[in-house]
Amino acid sequence: MSDLEKDPVVTSSLSKQLLIWTALLMLSLVWGLWDEVYGTRPWKSYQARFVKVYSQFLGKQRPKEGDFEKQIKASAEYKKLDQAMQDAEKAVSAQVREIDRKVNEELVPRTLALNEPFQDLRSEIGALTYQIEITKSESSKNSLRADIDKVKKKVKTAKLPNPDGSTEKKDFTYDQMDRQLQDWKAEKARLLQQRVDLLKPATELRAKRDKFVSDQIADVSADTLAGVQRGLERFDIAIRQIHVKDIDLVDRCESCHLGTREPVTLTKAAMGGEAVFTSHPDKELLKIHDPDKFGCTPCHGGNGVAVASTVKAHGRHTYWLWPMHYPENVQAGCQQCHVKEIVTEMADSLNAGREIFRLRGCMGCHRYEGFDHEPEELTSVNQEIRQISQQKAEWEREIGFTTKKADTTRDNNEAQRLYAHADNLKVRISGLDAKTEQLDMRAASLIREVKKVGPSLKEVRMKMRKEWIPVWLQDPNKWRPGTKMPTFRLDNEEIQAISAFIWQSGVTGIVPTQSNGDPTRGREAFETRGCMACHSMGEGNEKQGGTFAANLSRVGEKDNHDYLVRWIHNPRERTAPYCSFEKRDLTADDYKKKGLPYVFDLDHTKCPNDGHELQVQQMTPMPSLRLTIEEARDIAAYVETRKHVDFNYPAADYMDDPKLKARGQFLVRYYGCAGCHEISGLEEEQRIGTELTKEGSKPLERLDFALLGHEAQAEKAPSKDDTRGWYTHKGFFEHKLQDPAIYDKGKEKPNKLDRLKMPNFNLTKPEIDQVTTFLLGSVDSTMPERYHYEPSDARQDIIDGWWVIAKYNCMGCHQVHVGQSTVFMKLARYQDPDWKDQKPPSLIGEGSRVDPAWLMRFLNNPALSETDTNRDGVRPYLKARMPTFSFSDGEIRKLVRFFAALSSQATPYIVPKLVPISDQERVMARQLFSSEGAPCLKCHATGDPKHDQRATAPNFLLAKERLKPGWTERWMLHPEMMAPGTAMPSGLFRRDGDRWVFAGPTPASFNNYPKDHADLLVRYMFQFTPDELNRLRSSAAAGAGR
Amino acid sequence: MDLHQLWTIVSVPDNVPIVLLLFVVPFYTWYGLRQAFANDRLITQLEADPVMAKTHHRKIQPWKPGWAKEVHVWPFLLRIEFLAAIIVTLILMVWSITLNAPLEEPSNPTLTMNPSKAPWYFLGLQEMLVYFDPWMAGVIFPSLIIVGLMVIPYIDENPLGNGYYTYKQRKSAILTFIFGFIVLWVSMIVIGTLIRGPGWMWFWPGMTWDHNRLEYMVNQDLPDIFGIKGRLAKNIFGALVMGGYVVVSGWILHKVIAGTKLVVAGKALIKENAFRKKIYARMSLLQYVTMQAMLILMVMLPIKILIRLAFRIKYVWVTPWFNI
Repeated sequence: MSDLEKDPVVTSSLSKQLLIWTALLMLSLVWGLWDEVYGTRPWKSYQARFVKVYSQFLGKQRPKEGDFEKQIKASAEYKKLDQAMQDAEKAVSAQVREIDRKVNEELVPRTLALNEPFQDLRSEIGALTYQIEITKSESSKNSLRADIDKVKKKVKTAKLPNPDGSTEKKDFTYDQMDRQLQDWKAEKARLLQQRVDLLKPATELRAKRDKFVSDQIADVSADTLAGVQRGLERFDIAIRQIHVKDIDLVDRCESCHLGTREPVTLTKAAMGGEAVFTSHPDKELLKIHDPDKFGCTPCHGGNGVAVASTVKAHGRHTYWLWPMHYPENVQAGCQQCHVKEIVTEMADSLNAGREIFRLRGCMGCHRYEGFDHEPEELTSVNQEIRQISQQKAEWEREIGFTTKKADTTRDNNEAQRLYAHADNLKVRISGLDAKTEQLDMRAASLIREVKKVGPSLKEVRMKMRKEWIPVWLQDPNKWRPGTKMPTFRLDNEEIQAISAFIWQSGVTGIVPTQSNGDPTRGREAFETRGCMACHSMGEGNEKQGGTFAANLSRVGEKDNHDYLVRWIHNPRERTAPYCSFEKRDLTADDYKKKGLPYVFDLDHTKCPNDGHELQVQQMTPMPSLRLTIEEARDIAAYVETRKHVDFNYPAADYMDDPKLKARGQFLVRYYGCAGCHEISGLEEEQRIGTELTKEGSKPLERLDFALLGHEAQAEKAPSKDDTRGWYTHKGFFEHKLQDPAIYDKGKEKPNKLDRLKMPNFNLTKPEIDQVTTFLLGSVDSTMPERYHYEPSDARQDIIDGWWVIAKYNCMGCHQVHVGQSTVFMKLARYQDPDWKDQKPPSLIGEGSRVDPAWLMRFLNNPALSETDTNRDGVRPYLKARMPTFSFSDGEIRKLVRFFAALSSQATPYIVPKLVPISDQERVMARQLFSSEGAPCLKCHATGDPKHDQRATAPNFLLAKERLKPGWTERWMLHPEMMAPGTAMPSGLFRRDGDRWVFAGPTPASFNNYPKDHADLLVRYMFQFTPDELNRLRSSAAAGAGR
Repeated sequence: MDLHQLWTIVSVPDNVPIVLLLFVVPFYTWYGLRQAFANDRLITQLEADPVMAKTHHRKIQPWKPGWAKEVHVWPFLLRIEFLAAIIVTLILMVWSITLNAPLEEPSNPTLTMNPSKAPWYFLGLQEMLVYFDPWMAGVIFPSLIIVGLMVIPYIDENPLGNGYYTYKQRKSAILTFIFGFIVLWVSMIVIGTLIRGPGWMWFWPGMTWDHNRLEYMVNQDLPDIFGIKGRLAKNIFGALVMGGYVVVSGWILHKVIAGTKLVVAGKALIKENAFRKKIYARMSLLQYVTMQAMLILMVMLPIKILIRLAFRIKYVWVTPWFNI
């Protein structure tokens, strides 16, 4: 054996290797521990940093608040309140001390001492009673009862403590103890109540003093700050989570976002530049959606449970299906529960997105639940009517059979049963008739409610010069920047075919010839009548007016005068009625055949051929301003002056080529033009786009990024906590809206019809964000149904009403909710002080102001007169005029309920009874009305044309039917609170005891009048008659003459 | 070369074991064979020197005269195992700290992921689905694999190679294993993981996994290529071809197992082998038939893959009950 070469298996040493690897293993253990404690728990360092910066911030803030509070506390007012409180406390302090002594040193210890033996006996009796209850034999029961009596007779000695520390022995039986305890308890209650009564003035004064301090401090008091700081000193580094058991929600967002709900408002700058610690920017919103009930992620998205990294917590990686919304889309979170609404308070950007979807015609191609639902609803109503008529026929047949069977049966009882059955069916049929009647009304309503986004193309032949059409189709946005009409990617051949089809499919009719108007007068009318609430005029920077409807700057280049006058005079006037049953426009011949005059309007809506409801209106939301034909001519003349001087459209003879028509029709159908326009032959076209109601939760894989998928994934995301590039819903929508053809990029599609057809809406970046927000929110909500905003009370009326308000652009003229501005407010003309009061009235509080029955009548006919329609029923003194919208009954109902609900009014409205006015009171009120202190008739219209020229307020004759008395009184007392800046003077009344009296000089008859003056005037106004008005007018004239 | 794509595939926590496999399997195969060859040299030495063979029974290298014939498990084996345990623990620690469980989004029954892959250890089976009828690839073959593994101890009549690495003494067993494990199992897993992309299409490493990719590929059944019509005729034709395969492959395999000479066109494809002859003589009929069946089926797999890839042949034998 050689010693030199020992067997390596035996002799080699592994110690070095073991040492190294064990050391490495230990290191990995340390690493693992570190990872466990800090690496996967980054929120810990966030919390440590938060405590540091927040303490610093509070340290700076507290002395400031403290100084301020010291100032307040040094004020005489505070000292007075403090003194009063202390005096009140001192006055009763001796009595209070005595009560406290008696309760704490006598009653309580004695009660406790006696309670012990009493409980002992009571449990013994309780046990025996239970035995009685479960014992069967009466004799054993009796013996047990005897035992109870024995126990009750036992005498126990209780050691009752005295206030001086000594004890007093006293013997009690059970009943005696019971009585004694009751007595002491009653005594204690009495004393405590007495104490409260004694301290009441002092307590009230203390509350008053504290309120005085808190009223002076806007944000938080120094005490609160100190409390927060004390809390920080004991800050516990731990996960902070919201757990909503109800919906299985765990949100740990506040483990890092620690400042979210702090009482102090924390800004990024205040928190050392760390945005993560700032307060929630909208405390109001958090009040409605309490995070303890709603959590964070239901609104914001993100993975509420994850705390391992920002990427995971914000859910911005491939596998989290509900990533956190970016700031510009944060309101997408609202949509998932507020899906039934068109206007959601505090969600302006989402509202704007919905409005674009509605107004720009997205809904013409894409179905979205709730948007443009009228055609669908109409179909289903018609379906129901058909079903009911079938049912009716069936029952009628059955009545016949049953009666026949009853006539022939021999059994009397059976016959009676059958007759009764037949009678029941008859009654039920009458019920069906009632239902059909309602459905017919609904159908008539719906036909009125159906509107199209774009103008009817049936009328082109009468309406415009044909050469304009191909130019327009080429690029509408170039011809009229900002137009609703999107730009389609059409080539020349397509443009020619489409133009030819549109031109040739137009209906022909006779439009009365109109003489020319005066453009100067027309301009004045255009700018003051209210046209500009929807239409804008001027190009580029000179653009003025609303964006709801078209810019009219170049109308002079294309429109026919005769047609334009008819349109301005009544835009709803149709050339021919459309029968959806026969699917065609009716002609005069159809009427003639039935011997009927060719008359179709809102009063003549039945088809002469089949009795179905006809479409007798243009499907435009544009209302009639009830202008005279002369004024319409003037406006038309003015609009026609608006054109480019050098306009020149190439001749388009091909538009009369019948060979192009078929191809044109195919293309019009293919591009879905009928989604927005009424087109002959395509009235019943369906939407061509995909439904978008749940587009936001469509699996990403189903969104066709085509060849851009990899690019989208590889590109950088807008935020560094996002690992997905723009391969997201947001990215898809934004790119698609920016360039609807983008996903055709690089695709080989030689056939043009295979390419993406969505046109370009030329949206700006903010608009794209708004639409994206809307689409991102359009999801299959993860929240349970009961969290969805579907109120069953008056709030539902508000939801419904907003749809009508938006549909007809009421907010172009009226302020409907606080903080909203109208188009009128921005028009240059209305900045002038002379014109300020010419703006249409604000409708804030409208529901509490007007009687709903009156409002219904007014909305139906704003002239409030069948004969004299060239006026505004309430405010004839305004140049702008409430137009006639020809609302359907359903829409009027919705609007009236909307206003009532907005002002928290009960429905139905019951007119309150007012105390009848006595003759003497009438004289007094009349005197006050015409007195110099209250020149009511100076501003309010009286019906005298000469006076009304200068009037700036409605006629009193309207009050009785129009107004609610309660509102009227509030208005007289404080008009400036309801409508800041109103011409109605404030301070007309002053408080005198518990009544209001007129503040100015009152006529002598008012001396010794004990009642409320404001109330008197209200009663006077609500019992006003035309005679009374005349009398007033003449006395006012006399007064003025004096 | 799409490096972004390559990195995405390689770095998915799911695929890390496969990437490891790519290096570890060849390494240990090489390492084991190296030891086996060293031992084989010792075996030759011992066989040549009967004296030494008598005194030194240690069958593994390194070996020197005078070294102990045997060593104790404790500490000489256990300390090595302990070291190995430490190293493996360390690897597992680092792995578990750095890579999280590859959880993805909640499953959506209306949306199948693409590519939709089985767990990595089943990817070989999934890859087989490309070449065989699901009944074969999904049921018959997996069952046969299990049965085949179970019968190995019963058909293995070679007593050598216990407790030491050797190639020479277990040549056919080792080759069969390498063929079955590395060629048929590991390489299929690697293909399934790294090569198969969306639509289960073949993407070479570095190609972009494009969901829009389209490939023109028509696979035909063998009877159709020969223009055979009629169900019965196709059936009979398929059965004949399969029968032919069984006979030919069985005959060749028999020559290998039995160690007899196979001469084709004057060239000896298989040489005579006295050792295998001896083993063959020990086998019972049942052992032999089982082994033959297993080997025939095993060889069928790569042949089928080959004719599918090379000749676009979908099935050879089409019957209403199964397809091969």
